[in-house]
Amino acid sequence: MSALDATLAALADPTRRRVVEALRRGPRRAGELAETTQMTAPALSRHLRVLRTHGLVSEERVEHDARVRVYRLRRERFEELQAWLTEIEVFWTLQLGSFKAHAERRARAKRT
Amino acid sequence: MSPNDSVRVTTTVAVEPAEAFEVFTSDVDAWWRRGPRFRADGARPSQMRFEPGRGGRLLEVYDEASGDAFEFGRVLDWEPPKRLRFEFRGRNFAPDEVTFVEVRFKPAPGGTLVTLEQSGWSALRLDHPVRHGAQEPAFIAAMGGWWAELLGSLRATSRARRPR
Repeated sequence: MSALDATLAALADPTRRRVVEALRRGPRRAGELAETTQMTAPALSRHLRVLRTHGLVSEERVEHDARVRVYRLRRERFEELQAWLTEIEVFWTLQLGSFKAHAERRARAKRT
Repeated sequence: MSPNDSVRVTTTVAVEPAEAFEVFTSDVDAWWRRGPRFRADGARPSQMRFEPGRGGRLLEVYDEASGDAFEFGRVLDWEPPKRLRFEFRGRNFAPDEVTFVEVRFKPAPGGTLVTLEQSGWSALRLDHPVRHGAQEPAFIAAMGGWWAELLGSLRATSRARRPR
Protein backbone atom coordinates (compact mmCIF):
# COMPACT_ATOMS: atom_id res chain seq x y z
CA MET A 1 0.00 0.00 0.00
CA SER A 2 1.45 3.36 -1.01
CA ALA A 3 1.30 6.39 1.27
CA LEU A 4 -1.45 7.80 -0.90
CA ASP A 5 -3.47 4.58 -0.65
CA ALA A 6 -3.05 4.75 3.11
CA THR A 7 -4.29 8.33 3.14
CA LEU A 8 -7.35 7.47 1.08
CA ALA A 9 -8.06 4.32 3.07
CA ALA A 10 -7.93 6.23 6.34
CA LEU A 11 -10.24 8.91 4.94
CA ALA A 12 -12.72 6.35 3.61
CA ASP A 13 -14.50 6.37 6.95
CA PRO A 14 -16.93 9.26 7.58
CA THR A 15 -16.17 9.35 11.30
CA ARG A 16 -12.47 9.74 10.61
CA ARG A 17 -13.23 12.50 8.15
CA ARG A 18 -15.03 14.26 11.01
CA VAL A 19 -11.92 13.94 13.15
CA VAL A 20 -9.76 15.36 10.32
CA GLU A 21 -12.33 18.12 9.90
CA ALA A 22 -12.02 19.02 13.58
CA LEU A 23 -8.20 19.01 13.36
CA ARG A 24 -8.20 21.38 10.40
CA ARG A 25 -8.77 24.21 12.83
CA GLY A 26 -5.61 23.34 14.72
CA PRO A 27 -4.15 20.80 17.14
CA ARG A 28 -6.62 19.35 19.65
CA ARG A 29 -6.50 17.25 22.77
CA ALA A 30 -8.28 13.90 22.71
CA GLY A 31 -10.88 15.21 25.17
CA GLU A 32 -11.68 18.20 22.97
CA LEU A 33 -11.91 15.95 19.90
CA ALA A 34 -14.31 13.57 21.65
CA GLU A 35 -16.50 16.53 22.50
CA THR A 36 -16.43 18.07 19.00
CA THR A 37 -17.12 14.79 17.25
CA GLN A 38 -19.53 13.55 19.96
CA MET A 39 -17.76 10.24 20.27
CA THR A 40 -16.98 8.11 23.27
CA ALA A 41 -13.33 8.06 24.30
CA PRO A 42 -12.80 4.40 23.23
CA ALA A 43 -14.40 4.95 19.82
CA LEU A 44 -12.39 8.09 19.22
CA SER A 45 -9.21 6.39 20.34
CA ARG A 46 -9.79 3.61 17.79
CA HIS A 47 -10.17 6.12 14.97
CA LEU A 48 -7.20 8.17 16.10
CA ARG A 49 -5.12 5.01 16.07
CA VAL A 50 -6.04 4.37 12.41
CA LEU A 51 -5.30 7.98 11.47
CA ARG A 52 -1.98 7.74 13.29
CA THR A 53 -0.89 4.40 11.81
CA HIS A 54 -1.85 5.67 8.34
CA GLY A 55 0.30 8.71 8.94
CA LEU A 56 -2.35 11.41 8.73
CA VAL A 57 -2.19 12.54 12.31
CA SER A 58 0.65 12.90 14.76
CA GLU A 59 0.42 12.54 18.50
CA GLU A 60 2.38 14.61 20.98
CA ARG A 61 2.58 14.58 24.72
CA VAL A 62 2.25 17.77 26.64
CA GLU A 63 5.35 18.65 28.64
CA HIS A 64 3.81 19.27 32.00
CA ASP A 65 1.30 16.42 31.91
CA ALA A 66 2.25 13.03 30.47
CA ARG A 67 -1.38 11.89 30.42
CA VAL A 68 -2.50 14.57 27.99
CA ARG A 69 -1.97 13.96 24.29
CA VAL A 70 -2.35 16.49 21.54
CA TYR A 71 -3.22 15.51 17.97
CA ARG A 72 -2.41 17.41 14.81
CA LEU A 73 -2.68 16.84 11.05
CA ARG A 74 0.48 15.91 9.19
CA ARG A 75 0.54 18.29 6.28
CA GLU A 76 2.84 16.22 4.02
CA ARG A 77 0.17 13.55 3.60
CA PHE A 78 -2.33 16.08 2.37
CA GLU A 79 0.21 17.57 0.00
CA GLU A 80 0.61 14.13 -1.58
CA LEU A 81 -3.13 14.00 -2.00
CA GLN A 82 -3.03 17.41 -3.64
CA ALA A 83 -0.32 16.30 -6.07
CA TRP A 84 -2.39 13.26 -6.96
CA LEU A 85 -5.46 15.38 -7.64
CA THR A 86 -3.40 17.69 -9.85
CA GLU A 87 -2.28 14.64 -11.82
CA ILE A 88 -5.90 13.61 -12.34
CA GLU A 89 -6.73 17.11 -13.50
CA VAL A 90 -3.94 16.99 -16.06
CA PHE A 91 -5.14 13.56 -17.21
CA TRP A 92 -8.67 14.82 -17.96
CA THR A 93 -7.46 18.10 -19.44
CA LEU A 94 -5.42 16.17 -21.99
CA GLN A 95 -8.34 13.83 -22.68
CA LEU A 96 -10.84 16.64 -23.22
CA GLY A 97 -8.34 18.45 -25.45
CA SER A 98 -8.06 15.35 -27.58
CA PHE A 99 -11.87 14.96 -27.61
CA LYS A 100 -12.33 18.57 -28.76
CA ALA A 101 -9.76 18.21 -31.55
CA HIS A 102 -11.35 15.00 -32.77
CA ALA A 103 -14.96 16.27 -32.64
CA GLU A 104 -14.07 19.44 -34.54
CA ARG A 105 -11.98 17.60 -37.13
CA ARG A 106 -14.87 15.21 -37.72
CA ALA A 107 -17.37 18.08 -38.05
CA ARG A 108 -15.14 19.84 -40.60
CA ALA A 109 -14.74 16.63 -42.59
CA LYS A 110 -18.51 16.15 -42.66
CA ARG A 111 -19.09 19.65 -44.01
CA THR A 112 -16.66 19.32 -46.92
CA MET B 1 -6.77 23.75 -9.90
CA SER B 2 -10.24 25.22 -9.61
CA PRO B 3 -11.06 26.64 -6.19
CA ASN B 4 -14.61 25.27 -6.36
CA ASP B 5 -13.90 21.68 -7.03
CA SER B 6 -10.83 19.55 -6.83
CA VAL B 7 -11.06 17.79 -10.19
CA ARG B 8 -13.26 19.46 -12.76
CA VAL B 9 -12.15 20.35 -16.26
CA THR B 10 -14.04 22.07 -19.05
CA THR B 11 -13.68 22.72 -22.74
CA THR B 12 -15.80 24.33 -25.44
CA VAL B 13 -16.19 22.28 -28.56
CA ALA B 14 -17.51 23.73 -31.83
CA VAL B 15 -20.35 21.23 -32.36
CA GLU B 16 -23.92 20.97 -31.02
CA PRO B 17 -24.48 19.12 -27.70
CA ALA B 18 -26.10 16.13 -29.42
CA GLU B 19 -23.09 15.69 -31.65
CA ALA B 20 -20.68 16.25 -28.77
CA PHE B 21 -22.42 13.52 -26.77
CA GLU B 22 -22.40 11.21 -29.78
CA VAL B 23 -18.68 11.75 -30.46
CA PHE B 24 -17.79 11.45 -26.79
CA THR B 25 -19.44 8.03 -26.55
CA SER B 26 -19.46 6.36 -30.00
CA ASP B 27 -16.08 7.72 -31.00
CA VAL B 28 -14.36 7.21 -27.66
CA ASP B 29 -11.58 5.12 -29.15
CA ALA B 30 -10.72 7.87 -31.64
CA TRP B 31 -10.14 10.54 -29.02
CA TRP B 32 -9.18 8.61 -25.85
CA ARG B 33 -5.44 8.93 -25.76
CA ARG B 34 -3.21 5.91 -26.07
CA GLY B 35 -0.23 4.78 -24.05
CA PRO B 36 0.33 3.71 -20.45
CA ARG B 37 -0.75 7.01 -18.98
CA PHE B 38 -4.21 6.87 -20.46
CA ARG B 39 -5.09 3.26 -21.04
CA ALA B 40 -5.32 0.52 -18.45
CA ASP B 41 -2.83 -1.56 -20.40
CA GLY B 42 -1.06 0.96 -22.58
CA ALA B 43 1.47 -1.60 -23.79
CA ARG B 44 -1.14 -3.57 -25.78
CA PRO B 45 -3.16 -2.38 -28.74
CA SER B 46 -6.67 -1.68 -27.56
CA GLN B 47 -10.04 -0.27 -28.52
CA MET B 48 -12.02 1.89 -26.11
CA ARG B 49 -15.76 1.40 -26.19
CA PHE B 50 -18.87 2.69 -24.43
CA GLU B 51 -21.73 0.22 -24.48
CA PRO B 52 -24.67 2.58 -24.96
CA GLY B 53 -27.29 3.08 -22.30
CA ARG B 54 -27.53 2.83 -18.54
CA GLY B 55 -25.78 -0.30 -17.28
CA GLY B 56 -23.48 -0.45 -20.32
CA ARG B 57 -19.78 -0.80 -19.75
CA LEU B 58 -16.80 1.37 -20.56
CA LEU B 59 -14.32 -1.14 -21.94
CA GLU B 60 -10.78 -1.28 -23.16
CA VAL B 61 -10.95 -4.20 -25.57
CA TYR B 62 -7.75 -6.10 -26.43
CA ASP B 63 -9.22 -8.98 -28.37
CA GLU B 64 -12.69 -8.86 -29.81
CA ALA B 65 -12.88 -12.59 -30.55
CA SER B 66 -11.90 -13.87 -27.11
CA GLY B 67 -13.62 -11.04 -25.24
CA ASP B 68 -10.36 -10.04 -23.57
CA ALA B 69 -11.02 -6.57 -22.15
CA PHE B 70 -10.62 -4.32 -19.14
CA GLU B 71 -13.78 -2.85 -17.68
CA PHE B 72 -13.40 0.68 -16.31
CA GLY B 73 -16.93 0.63 -14.97
CA ARG B 74 -20.62 0.80 -15.71
CA VAL B 75 -22.61 3.61 -17.21
CA LEU B 76 -24.80 5.03 -14.46
CA ASP B 77 -26.62 7.73 -16.41
CA TRP B 78 -27.00 7.96 -20.16
CA GLU B 79 -28.94 11.11 -20.98
CA PRO B 80 -28.11 12.35 -24.47
CA PRO B 81 -27.57 15.13 -25.32
CA LYS B 82 -27.08 16.49 -21.82
CA ARG B 83 -25.33 14.22 -19.46
CA LEU B 84 -23.31 11.05 -19.05
CA ARG B 85 -22.12 9.49 -15.85
CA PHE B 86 -20.02 6.39 -15.41
CA GLU B 87 -17.92 4.54 -12.88
CA PHE B 88 -14.23 4.81 -13.39
CA ARG B 89 -11.82 2.31 -11.91
CA GLY B 90 -8.12 2.04 -12.49
CA ARG B 91 -6.37 -1.26 -12.94
CA ASN B 92 -4.80 -0.94 -9.49
CA PHE B 93 -8.10 -0.32 -7.70
CA ALA B 94 -9.32 -2.72 -5.04
CA PRO B 95 -12.67 -4.33 -5.89
CA ASP B 96 -14.49 -2.01 -3.49
CA GLU B 97 -12.87 1.17 -4.76
CA VAL B 98 -14.57 3.25 -7.40
CA THR B 99 -14.66 6.82 -8.63
CA PHE B 100 -17.30 8.54 -10.72
CA VAL B 101 -17.03 10.62 -13.83
CA GLU B 102 -19.82 12.93 -14.83
CA VAL B 103 -19.81 14.72 -18.18
CA ARG B 104 -22.28 17.50 -18.91
CA PHE B 105 -22.90 18.95 -22.35
CA LYS B 106 -24.41 22.42 -22.33
CA PRO B 107 -25.24 24.63 -25.30
CA ALA B 108 -22.82 27.54 -25.41
CA PRO B 109 -22.01 30.30 -27.89
CA GLY B 110 -20.10 28.61 -30.69
CA GLY B 111 -20.96 25.07 -29.68
CA THR B 112 -21.03 23.08 -26.48
CA LEU B 113 -19.53 23.61 -23.08
CA VAL B 114 -18.29 20.23 -21.88
CA THR B 115 -17.72 19.88 -18.15
CA LEU B 116 -16.08 16.75 -16.85
CA GLU B 117 -15.92 16.07 -13.16
CA GLN B 118 -14.36 13.14 -11.40
CA SER B 119 -15.45 12.51 -7.85
CA GLY B 120 -16.03 9.86 -5.26
CA TRP B 121 -12.40 8.78 -4.91
CA SER B 122 -12.04 5.62 -2.97
CA ALA B 123 -13.98 7.15 -0.10
CA LEU B 124 -17.23 6.07 -1.63
CA ARG B 125 -17.45 2.32 -1.29
CA LEU B 126 -19.35 0.19 -3.72
CA ASP B 127 -21.39 -1.17 -0.85
CA HIS B 128 -21.97 2.28 0.60
CA PRO B 129 -25.70 2.61 1.36
CA VAL B 130 -25.74 5.99 -0.32
CA ARG B 131 -25.24 4.28 -3.67
CA HIS B 132 -28.72 2.82 -3.41
CA GLY B 133 -30.45 6.00 -2.37
CA ALA B 134 -31.78 9.06 -4.12
CA GLN B 135 -29.34 11.34 -2.33
CA GLU B 136 -26.34 9.99 -4.21
CA PRO B 137 -25.59 13.06 -6.36
CA ALA B 138 -25.93 15.28 -3.31
CA PHE B 139 -23.54 13.05 -1.43
CA ILE B 140 -20.98 13.17 -4.19
CA ALA B 141 -21.32 16.93 -4.47
CA ALA B 142 -20.80 17.20 -0.73
CA MET B 143 -17.73 14.97 -0.97
CA GLY B 144 -16.31 17.10 -3.76
CA GLY B 145 -16.92 20.18 -1.69
CA TRP B 146 -15.35 18.55 1.30
CA TRP B 147 -12.16 17.73 -0.56
CA ALA B 148 -12.01 21.15 -2.15
CA GLU B 149 -12.48 22.88 1.16
CA LEU B 150 -10.00 20.67 2.92
CA LEU B 151 -7.38 21.12 0.24
CA GLY B 152 -8.08 24.84 0.02
CA SER B 153 -7.57 25.31 3.71
CA LEU B 154 -4.43 23.20 3.69
CA ARG B 155 -3.04 25.19 0.77
CA ALA B 156 -3.71 28.36 2.71
CA THR B 157 -2.02 26.84 5.75
CA SER B 158 1.08 25.80 3.86
CA ARG B 159 1.39 29.25 2.28
CA ALA B 160 1.10 30.90 5.67
CA ARG B 161 3.75 28.63 7.14
CA ARG B 162 6.26 28.98 4.34
CA PRO B 163 9.30 30.86 5.62
CA ARG B 164 9.81 34.23 3.98
